Parts: sequence; C-alpha cells; structure tokens
Amino acid sequence: MDKKPSHARTVIAYIVLILLTFLCLFFFYILIVNATRSHPQIQKGFSFIPGHSLMKNLRSVLNDANIPVMSGIKNSLIVSSLSAILATYFSALTAYGLYAYDFKLKKPAFVFIMLILVMPTQVSAMGFINLITKMGMLNTLYPLFLPSIAAPAVFYFMYSYMQSSLPLELVEAARIDGSSEFHTFNRVVIPIMKPALAVQAIFAFVTSWNNYFIPALVISDNSKKTLPILIAALRSADFLKFDMGKVYMLITIAIVPIIIVYIALSKYIVAGVALGGVKE
Amino acid sequence: MAGITFKNVVKTYDNGVTVVPDLNLEIKDKEFVVLVGPSGCGKSTTLRMIAGLESITDGELYIGDQLMNAVAPKNRNIAMVFQNYALYPHLSVYKNMTFALELAKVPKDEMKKKVQWAAEILGLEPYLDRKPKALSGGQRQRVALGRAMVRDPEVFLLDEPLSNLDAKLRTEMRSQISKLHKRLGTTFVYVTHDQTEAMTMGDRICVMKDGIVQQFDTPQNLYDHPCNLFVAGFIGSPQMNFIDAQVKKTSGGYALCFGDTEITVDRPELASYEGKTVVLGVRPEDLHAEPQFFGKNNVINAYIDLDEMMGAESYLYLEYAGQKMIARVPARYAKKAEENIELAIDVETIHLFDKETEKAI
Amino acid sequence: MKKIKGNEVSYAKYGYLFIAPFFIAFLIFQFIPLIQTIYYSFFEYYRSGLKIIGPNPVGFDNYAALFEADFGKYAGNTIIMWILGFIPQILISLLLAAWFTDIRLKIKGKQFFKVVIYMPNLIMASAFAMLFFALFSDNGPVNSTLISMGLISKPFRFLSSVWGTRGLVGLMNFLMWFGNTTILLMAAVMGINPSLFEAAELDGCSPRQTFFRVTLPMIRPILIYVLITSMIGGLQMFDVPQILTNGKGTPDRTSMTLIMYLNNHLFSKNYGMAGAVSVILFIIAAILCLVVYFTLNADDDSKRIRKRDRLKPRKEAVNG
Repeated sequence: MDKKPSHARTVIAYIVLILLTFLCLFFFYILIVNATRSHPQIQKGFSFIPGHSLMKNLRSVLNDANIPVMSGIKNSLIVSSLSAILATYFSALTAYGLYAYDFKLKKPAFVFIMLILVMPTQVSAMGFINLITKMGMLNTLYPLFLPSIAAPAVFYFMYSYMQSSLPLELVEAARIDGSSEFHTFNRVVIPIMKPALAVQAIFAFVTSWNNYFIPALVISDNSKKTLPILIAALRSADFLKFDMGKVYMLITIAIVPIIIVYIALSKYIVAGVALGGVKE
Repeated sequence: MAGITFKNVVKTYDNGVTVVPDLNLEIKDKEFVVLVGPSGCGKSTTLRMIAGLESITDGELYIGDQLMNAVAPKNRNIAMVFQNYALYPHLSVYKNMTFALELAKVPKDEMKKKVQWAAEILGLEPYLDRKPKALSGGQRQRVALGRAMVRDPEVFLLDEPLSNLDAKLRTEMRSQISKLHKRLGTTFVYVTHDQTEAMTMGDRICVMKDGIVQQFDTPQNLYDHPCNLFVAGFIGSPQMNFIDAQVKKTSGGYALCFGDTEITVDRPELASYEGKTVVLGVRPEDLHAEPQFFGKNNVINAYIDLDEMMGAESYLYLEYAGQKMIARVPARYAKKAEENIELAIDVETIHLFDKETEKAI
Repeated sequence: MKKIKGNEVSYAKYGYLFIAPFFIAFLIFQFIPLIQTIYYSFFEYYRSGLKIIGPNPVGFDNYAALFEADFGKYAGNTIIMWILGFIPQILISLLLAAWFTDIRLKIKGKQFFKVVIYMPNLIMASAFAMLFFALFSDNGPVNSTLISMGLISKPFRFLSSVWGTRGLVGLMNFLMWFGNTTILLMAAVMGINPSLFEAAELDGCSPRQTFFRVTLPMIRPILIYVLITSMIGGLQMFDVPQILTNGKGTPDRTSMTLIMYLNNHLFSKNYGMAGAVSVILFIIAAILCLVVYFTLNADDDSKRIRKRDRLKPRKEAVNG
C-alpha cells in the first residue's frame, strides 16, 4: 500500500504528542526552576535557568513556624501508608471471602459493593464529621485512614485479579495440607496477589497523599495537618506578602516525592491502569 | 487400615440440586479404585467428599472405621492430586512438598529425608529449587504426586491428574502411578472420565452415572459382564455394538433375529422374552472376518460405510439391516469402504440386555 | 476433631468472617453518617456565633431554601467546568489511543509518552492548583512571559475573569485525566481481536473508516464507563477550584462547585443545609452508580470488559 498518507499521519502524531508532553512537563519544570530561585528573582520575571536559592528556600520553608512542613510530611506519610496497607489488605480479604466461600449472603454482599463502587464519600461527609466528633476523633489522624478498610474499588480490582489468577484448587490443596483458613490467606493467597497488592497500594497511597477534602474538615490542629492542608493554608494567607521561593518550594515538597516514586515504578503503574480496562 | 465406606451418602448442593442421591460404596484398604463416568456423573463430588472439600448432606462416610462426616480435611490423613496440579506458584518445588510437613511441625531433617525419598522415586532431584512456572506439565504433575507422597497419607485421592498432559506423557504417567501404588501400598482413589485410564490402572472400577453407581467390579468383569447398557457402552473402545433383535424359540434353544440373520443361543433365561425385542451387544472385536469363526447361522453380510486402517487392524464402520456397527478385524482380512463383507458373530461372547430396563439378561 | 454435627467441612462462616471488617468499616464510616446526613437534612440545625440553633424539624424547608438560593447556579458551574475538561479529554484520548494502537504508524517511545501523560494524574490536585495560581497570577510567570513576547501589553487577569478561571479549572482537569483515559481506551482497543482490523483493511477501510466503523463501536462499553465515572468525578469537583479561588469561587461565585458549597456549609457548621446538599448529591450519585453497575455487569456477561481499578483515585482527585 502507499506509504505517503501514513507518513504524514506519523508526523502529525509526533507533533501532537510532543505538544502534549510539553504541556504535561512544562509546569513542573517551572515549578522546580522557581523552587531554586529567590523571591526577587521570581518577581523579576520568568526564566528557564535554575537559580541558586534551593537550599535557602528549603531552609526557610522548614523553619517557618506557621507551616509545620516536617510534621506535615510525617503526618501525610503515616496516613498514606496506613491507608495503603488497610485498603489493600482488607480489600483482598473481602474479595477472598466472596471469591472462595459459599454462603447465603454472598450474592447480596457482592451486589451491594458493586452498587457503591463509585459512590462519592463526600455525600456522607456531614454525618462523618458529626460522628467522629462524638467519637472524640476530631483532630486525630484515625479518621483519615480507618475508613480505607472499606474501599469498594480496590475490592473490585482484587476480586477480578483473583478470578484470573487464583484457582480455587490451590485453596483446597492448602486445606488438605492442613493449613487453616487464615494461614491459607496470609501464606498462599497474599503472595499470589502481590502484583495486584503492589499496584493498588501505590494508588491508595497516592490518593490518600493527595486527599484534601476530608482532612481539611477533620484537622485544625497545626501539628496534625497533612501536606494538602498546609498548601491550602498557604493559599489563604495574604499571598502578596509571601516569599514566592518558599511557596514553590512547598509545592515541590508535596509533589516531587510522588513523581520520583512514579518514575521508578511507572512500568507497573501504567500496566496497572491498563489492567483496569479490557480483557478478551 | 484405611478402607473407605460410604453408607447411604447424599449430596445436595445449596441450590437444591442433588448430585449424589444415595451412595453405598466400599473401598478396601490398599486398593486402587477408579471412579469413572461421563462428566456430571458425581465422580468428582464423591472424591471431594472423601477429601472433605464438600460437606455431606446425609449418610455416613468412614475412612478406616472412623466416621469422617464432620472431620476437617487436614485430619483425615489423606492427600490429593488435583487436575491442574494446584502447586503453590510462589514456592519452590521443595517448599511445595514441605508445605504440609511444616504445618504439621515435622522436624527439619526428617522433612528433608522425605522429600529426597519422593524426589528420587519421581526423578525430581534436579528441580527441587525451581518454581513451578519453570517446569513442564509432566514435571508439575510429578511434583503434585510428590507433595502427596511426603505426607505419608493413608489414602491418595487423584482427580483427573492426567487430563492436562499430552497423549504420550499420559501413557507414561499412567504406568508411573500404577507402579507408585504398588510401591506405597496405600489406598488410591482415582477419578477419570477416560475408560482406558480406568481399565489400565484400577484394581476395581466404579462406573457412575447421574450420581448412581452402575457397577463396581474388576476391569475384566466389567468388560466381560457389564451389568447394563450404559456400562457396556462406556467400557471398551471402540464402543460395543448394540443391535435390536427379536427372540424366537427354536429347537436348539432360542434364536435372535435381525435382518436375515438368526443366531441360535443356548440361553434359557430368554424364555420370558419370547416374541419380544432385546438388545444384542457385540464388541467390535467379536465380529470376525477370519474363516475359522464361520459357522452356521452366525454370519452377517454387511456393507462397509467407511474403513479406518490402524496398522495391524482395521476398524470397519458397517451398516446391516438398517443398524450401524463397528468391527475390528485383522488388517489382512479387512475390505475397503463401499464393499460388502461377511462377518461372523462369536456366539460365546455376546451380551444380551433388556430393552426396557437396559439391564443385562 | 470428632464433633458429629459440628460440620468442620462447611466453610461458610469464614466467608462472613472475612468480609466482616469491610462491612463494619463501611457501616461506621459511611452508612451511619449517610443516614445521619439524610436525617439532619430535615432539621434546622446550625451555629450562630457560639450558639447552636436546633436541631428543630423543619420538613423540606432546607431543600426549598437550597433551590431558592444559588444551588442551580453552582450545579451549572460544576457542569460547565466538567464539560470544559471532559470534551478535550475524551477527544485527545481517543486520538492518542487510535494512534498508539495503529500498527501502521509505528510510533516510537510509546511507553515514554504513556508515562508522561499519566503523570499529572498522580499530582496532588491542591498543589497543582496552587502552582497554577502562582503561574497565572496577575504578575506571575505566564503573564510576564506573554508581555515580554509582546502578545499582550498589560497582564491578563486570568483569575478575575469568569472564563479565565473556568478555563483554567477545565485545563487542569483535562491535564490530570487525559492520560488515564488514553491508557484505558488503549487497553480497550488492544482487547479487540486483531484479525478484525486485518479484515477491515482487506475490505478496503481507510484508517479513518476503520476507526469510526470498527474501533469506536467495539469500545463503546468502556466509553460509557469513562463517561459515567468522569461525571461522578465531576460531581465531586473540589480541590482545584477551591485552592485556585481560595474557596470563594471567584469571580462572583462563577467557579463555585457543588462540593465547595457543601464544604462552606460544613465549615460554618450549618448541618441542616449541608445535609440537604448532600442528599441531592447522593441521589445524583446513586443514579450514576446504578448506570456503572449495569455497564459493568453487561460487560461481565459478554466477557469483554474487565474490572476497573482506578475508580478510587479518580474519585478523590478529579474533583479537581
């Protein structure tokens, strides 16, 4: 067949792709450049060349008593890690319960989870705040990770993964080998589910790391704040008085760890996203 | 001592389907019993009830003389080999084999001895550190066997263990498993849908259909004296020919008439069938083309639809008196398709069945 | 070991045991709160200064007040900003998916492009919004660049212009989601039997015809799925406009979304009104959930589409 139109299309495709790549990367590039420049430099105008104020900006962010960055990072790490662990472990457990056992409420339970699969958590936020106030958990980190135990979307992923990768024969073999049901889950099922657990753990971690709505309602104590709340606080402060180098630095601190992890694991993450799609 | 006894066992699933209505079966200690039948006949369910993977709705199951209905699988002293091997994919061959032993807290050096013993018998020594993924189908099958062996069970349960192997490997593994049974001297219960496997391996074969035991006997007896049409048709390949024949009284006893053939048989029990139609069963190898079998009144002249040359012998697909038959004759006596051939029925080996009850007469 | 009727062979109890934590957590953290939310939506219950008013039952007064106020306007804002992001998102994604899966094009570095375009999806929406706020502020880098290039003479005040603000929100939503959608659609296209494309080519289809006549109809279920989940994401739009406009939905509340409105009521502790907003959001979400349920179930039947994973992240992050 003639090569010409194909060739032209290839060129157009590359142009569009490069434009989109630019669009995706450009803002982060400015962010990182600006994080290395001082406030006066930033005010003067835009530059592609990094400045020399990286350490100075970092120090001024870390030393600002109004923005407790270190404790913010710590809180974000605690909440995100626990969310990731709880969401993946309990979703796998739930999926296994519905996949490997037969019981009367199996079907209703499955249908129920499927129905709430994409239900926004915001709709019950009012009652949620009310409830945790009564439980004395306001201004603690618990309400930020405990609800992760019930993560319908993670459940669904685990369930699908089990259907394709966990033959029930294996569970029966373990039963005959004298393994208790919990032992089978922890020693046979979990190792087989590792790839799925890893992908979902990353997603759950990132989701929690970026979460703003609920933490903003739950946390008001400075020492308990997570990174997104700190960024929001920055926005509501009198912006013009701010050292812009510091602002960019804080954003960098919130974003860059995720980008580094993402680049390191991008192969698995992209594959994990695609896995959510279609199977013949 | 580990015979297995089913007493009036019933299995009904939660959805109300009864797959085993009333099972009575006695498997002796050290016996190799094959459960065979078409898919959905309840053979796998029966095996899984022995294993404790399916609960028993009603009746009693004994292993040895202990009632097992409510005993967990791990306490039944059984081992099972699954159709798809069910090897733990994340563990090495060695760890797969010791999984149960570790749970039973067997000392390390004893564990090692047992694995070595099993690996030696099965030829698995070079693969002990590999993961199942890095093994061929036959090797995986042997690991599955090894995993069962190291546990030193009183009963071996095998659920269609060879169905995923290619034909050549299957033949090879068949004899390996038979040898293993002799060597271990334990009870084997083996499920298959393949009658060849059943015939070659079993001390006794239990033919099942719709959850009901049709016949439980030695391979030879099943072949020579099938108790009903189903067993007669199921055992033996190619399948037994079934011919509708009229019973007529003659001076020498009774004659079976079909087409223009009248075969005289000396079977007094045909008295009550006089004038009625019965089913005459003739195995393909009992239709003879060799002249020495030709007698009076036992020869049919059949038309050959199709012939399949198998080497030493030929399968002839025949039509006679509106009925289809298969004959298995030595190649040098065979004829080609679209010809006619004279075949003698060996009267000594025929089977007779009641057309209504399908039972042997 | 010898319980006769204890039936150790039945494992049903483990099923209940294993799914229990999920349902307990759901009951405590979502179901009870939801019931409470619905309950208080029928009460006058708010804080005035340090005094708590209510709860006094008022029937549907909160709902009436809601519709008399600007609820419709905020719903409109939400829909507009969602559309501004979704239309370029689905178009670009379809285009990229078609290109990436076209064997004739032989695009090199597919993996690289995939990694790059998906990256914005993982970025903290609030930080992303903060970054855009800094970049697009009146004397920020974008304006100074445009001026120095001579394209404009004085700074364009993006965040004081209705369409400037909405456009930025749309742009950010687009940037955050087109990579995710592209990867999903690609997977869908690659799930189509390749011989179908070969047959189409033999039948004389041009690439364009193949795309419209073969590819699009085959990936319809996943397109519906993407649309519905994106609508649910849009319904939750919060972080991006909230940070960008400092929770005010400036200018003149034209970028105020429904969740921002809910958030305002929650912060001012007007539980009655917050409840009423939530209930309406819940009803809309429930309808969309049903659509998702039936889409996925139809897919399960035809064995074409499997399972999605990225629902949760989408939920939390779009809201953007």
